[in-house]
Amino acid sequence: MAPQDRLTGELLRVEGLTVSYGDHQVVTDVGFSLRRGESLALIGESGSGKSTIARSVLRLLPRGVGRATGTVEFEGQEILSLSERRFRPLRGRRIGFVPQDPGNSLNPVRTIGVQAQEAAALIGEKGPEVVLETFDQVGLDNPRRVYDSYPHQLSGGMLQRVLIGLTVLPRPALIVADEPTSALDVTIQKRILDLLSQLRQDLNISLLLITHDLAIAAERADSLVVLKDGVVQEAGSTASVFSAPSSEYARKLHADVPALNPDRYQHLRDSDRPVGEPPRIEVRGVSKTFTVDGKVLTAVDDVSFSVAPGTTHALVGESGSGKTTTIRLLLGLEEPDSGSITVAGEEVTRRSHASLRSVRRHLQLVYQNPFTSLDPLWTVKRLVGESLDRYRVGDRDERVREALDSVGLSQDLLSRRPTALSGGQRQRVALARALVLRPDVIVLDEPTSALDVSVQAGIVEVMLTLQASLGLTYVFVSHDLALVRQLAHTVSVMRQGRIVESGPVAAVLDNPQEPYTRALVDSIPAGADPVAGGVS
Amino acid sequence: MKYALRRVLQAVVVVLLAYVFTFVVISVLPGDPVTNTLRNPQNGFSEEEIQRIVAYYGLDRPVHEQLWQSLSRFVVGDLGVSLRSGLPVSRLISEVLSSTLVLAASALGVALVLAFAIGFGTQYLPKRYGQGLLRAFPSLFLSVPNFVIGLLLINVFAFQLGLFRVIDSEGGLATLFAAIALGIPVSARIAEVLVANLDHESAEEYASVARSRGLGRTGLLLRHLLKPSSLPVVTVVALAVGELLGGAVITEQIFGRTGIGSLVERSVTTQDLPVLQAVVTLAAIVFVGVNLIADLVYPLLDPRVRLGESRSRPKVEVAA
Repeated sequence: MAPQDRLTGELLRVEGLTVSYGDHQVVTDVGFSLRRGESLALIGESGSGKSTIARSVLRLLPRGVGRATGTVEFEGQEILSLSERRFRPLRGRRIGFVPQDPGNSLNPVRTIGVQAQEAAALIGEKGPEVVLETFDQVGLDNPRRVYDSYPHQLSGGMLQRVLIGLTVLPRPALIVADEPTSALDVTIQKRILDLLSQLRQDLNISLLLITHDLAIAAERADSLVVLKDGVVQEAGSTASVFSAPSSEYARKLHADVPALNPDRYQHLRDSDRPVGEPPRIEVRGVSKTFTVDGKVLTAVDDVSFSVAPGTTHALVGESGSGKTTTIRLLLGLEEPDSGSITVAGEEVTRRSHASLRSVRRHLQLVYQNPFTSLDPLWTVKRLVGESLDRYRVGDRDERVREALDSVGLSQDLLSRRPTALSGGQRQRVALARALVLRPDVIVLDEPTSALDVSVQAGIVEVMLTLQASLGLTYVFVSHDLALVRQLAHTVSVMRQGRIVESGPVAAVLDNPQEPYTRALVDSIPAGADPVAGGVS
Repeated sequence: MKYALRRVLQAVVVVLLAYVFTFVVISVLPGDPVTNTLRNPQNGFSEEEIQRIVAYYGLDRPVHEQLWQSLSRFVVGDLGVSLRSGLPVSRLISEVLSSTLVLAASALGVALVLAFAIGFGTQYLPKRYGQGLLRAFPSLFLSVPNFVIGLLLINVFAFQLGLFRVIDSEGGLATLFAAIALGIPVSARIAEVLVANLDHESAEEYASVARSRGLGRTGLLLRHLLKPSSLPVVTVVALAVGELLGGAVITEQIFGRTGIGSLVERSVTTQDLPVLQAVVTLAAIVFVGVNLIADLVYPLLDPRVRLGESRSRPKVEVAA
């Protein structure tokens, strides 16, 4: 290898990579190459095979199940055919790995220090000094405390810093990062990605970034490989793929990312709405405290907002901000300590069970995760029709069909069970289930956060079409500001149980007054180039 | 601390309840100890002695008064006097207790060694050949009763190979083989849980991440998988103590050992009620005690339980 190759040459070359689990082929004839010091993003939705490719490069496919063929060349050496014994010295030392969910990526019953020492041992260091130095370098405030902690004592963001620290500690030439931020809150996402970019520059490490988020990839990678069902759809420099996507799929993906298309649904959002009517939802001075282990926790602190009929109000905040408690109060699942909530002129708080039932009929909920919120043993017909039985509504079959129609599901699915449906279909069933009683208000608790972007786009479109045609009022809980910008009319930003800022979406997001809101807005990945990204 | 105190109080209440329950069950059994045992000419009690024992246990008074009398003696550590031999029950028990404890402890040792050997083997042997065989062991061990294993061991090692003598069998080798017979079914329970947990833990994401730091199979097993996989074993061992005590009675008979087992057998056939009452209560104390220790020790072993809100041991995962 020529000397300049060591600095700028090709580091990783993948050619004709095909991976199968048993008889099931998940990656077909994939090829790409990554030069030293550069970064490449593998983009795709669930099932695209992107994580499988990452694991093939690290040779961490499930033992005895996954089989990879083709060529993976790292620093000029074919590594796919190496024996485990000859490959193992490369792991950690030359190729590092940053996993997706920091919460389950460290051994829960061993201290961080014990696990960090494994990384230090790769470069022959026995003492804690190197580890503490690295923790400091990745921005952990109290390295000693982190070193002595167990994983469950640290937050997700801190754990990801630890894991990144352990990965860069042996100074590898390549880092494979598999969705390194998708399990983290948005403001932390940005900080973690910034950290990765900076370490990469300082230490001249190449990055193979696996992500579903086109906007993140565009912001962080030099070149992109777009995958679908294990096949490369398009590859090239970020700028070219972004400004002129040549494949159908890349174009669709680009159109479906909320951060890149803030005005996509403007025509639906701005449809005619009755003017001068009283608010459909009115929340006034609501507080709620919980007592946990003798300590009083204020989950919701003097929260007020109102929502006009036929509009969408977004509740935005990170985990622990009080969003979920607020909607539980709104739905009458929890009694507030003080304050009042009215929906369509009727008081929700301080009511008997029986009278709450009549309010709930006009107030429906769609849960976050359609993979856990639908009883797997029930058919679609029974799931959607359940509330009709509860409220003894006649001509049920007719109403169920109508609800399925309105969310764009075929009647053929009536006898299916949730396990035979895709994630998007499931969430449409959940939406149909909420619609079947013809409510005025639907509360949506992060309805798309468990779904792929293209599936999300479908759900959002259905939601907005329904709102325009039926005059529904939505309360939309989300941590995704880009999505909020696309579909909401008004927004309340919550932090530690309080509303820190509230108003029309455009006003709040374009000109945030509070530092916290600004941090949230800044954390929206902007894409490669604002002009090419379609930000008007 | 408050938690520990509450658990200790609970344990005391359970032991007292066990005592009362045993007493009631024994009282409602048919047969009168006075006519059957005391007045049995073989035992050679004089009329005076009989009167004294009857008065001591209040045998001529109603059952609830007998219970109260017996319970108040138990609380201060007085276990009463054997109806058959006239000796204090505490002395009879202490004579044989050590032999049973040695047997049970060795059996537990055998069980742990076997279980961990099976557990490690499943992680090391090639999937297709060795593992399948090894994974069949626990169900095999469970389906053969320990007296069958005991008789097999005696037949092969005592009669055919002459390694130990069945009569006068308190020697080291004899104890070892008795412990093997008693320990094998227990090892199956431990191995089942251990194998299931090793499989579960090695499929966890943190195991992959640890491998990405360059750890090999042994490093992964010893540094990462062993501890979380062994934690549920604490629970299984605590529960297996009951099995060890019950199995010891049978095993002692088969191997001709004197111990709690032979004492129980004698007391049952002669209706020596105070001894029976004491042995059952003793078993309850051991069982409750071991589980109490397991509950109190667990938080020290598992940092998640130590600081988490849930104080109880997590549920044990068993292979499907």
